[in-house]
Amino acid sequence: MFDPIMEQILAIARDAWAFLAGLLIVVALLGGLYYVLQGTAGAAFGGSRMTSMAIIGAVGLVILVLFAFLFLPQIGEMLKNFQPNPPF
Amino acid sequence: MSASIILEFLRQGWLALAGAFLAFALLAGMAQMLRISSAGVVGANLWVWQSVSALISLVVLSLFAFLGIPQIVQALQHSLPGGAGCGPISVLGTYASDLIGGLAAVRMLKATFVSVLSASIGGTSTFSQALIECGEAIFGMLIAAAAIPLAAWFLGTC
Repeated sequence: MFDPIMEQILAIARDAWAFLAGLLIVVALLGGLYYVLQGTAGAAFGGSRMTSMAIIGAVGLVILVLFAFLFLPQIGEMLKNFQPNPPF
Repeated sequence: MSASIILEFLRQGWLALAGAFLAFALLAGMAQMLRISSAGVVGANLWVWQSVSALISLVVLSLFAFLGIPQIVQALQHSLPGGAGCGPISVLGTYASDLIGGLAAVRMLKATFVSVLSASIGGTSTFSQALIECGEAIFGMLIAAAAIPLAAWFLGTC
């Protein structure tokens, strides 16, 4: 009964997912570039704390992106397995 | 006959709502991850913590919707006295308890779906609002559990 509507909603959701994933990659790349700039600037004038913070930031960013691209699909699979039938 | 048609309609609605819930929960998770990464880059600590808590609340809300709501509905449906009396009153009571259970289940799932939808478009995840609406539905079912035997007694029992 609701299948045609569901197909439309899922198509929009798939497009939105692809858009968000692309945007996340762009933001992560820009953030990585910023951290590289910060690290090289810190290394150039002897700011060791600045450099180490930039390295930590870049590593954190990579972990975040990996978390988003590996953890969220797994959560989706888990929830799909839990999807309940009507309890009435 | 008409009750079974309405129940079938509600079942289809439940399935569609559960599918859309799953899709929007994943989108909301992705939106919160995007917010975390962008806020982390610009150094906005508060945004990061808000997004982390929103992400955790999304997972909790999804588990509540998929595991908690069916159990609550089944428990309440067992507590509803379906066949009080005899004859048409008994049949009407059974239909009424089925319909009340179906409506409450769809309403509870809708409340959690609205919370996830607001989180997926970047708003706050209104977990408390979803719980309040679930509480209202449960309260309505409890009142119905008392009202059905009273109506049967008033209209005449065997």
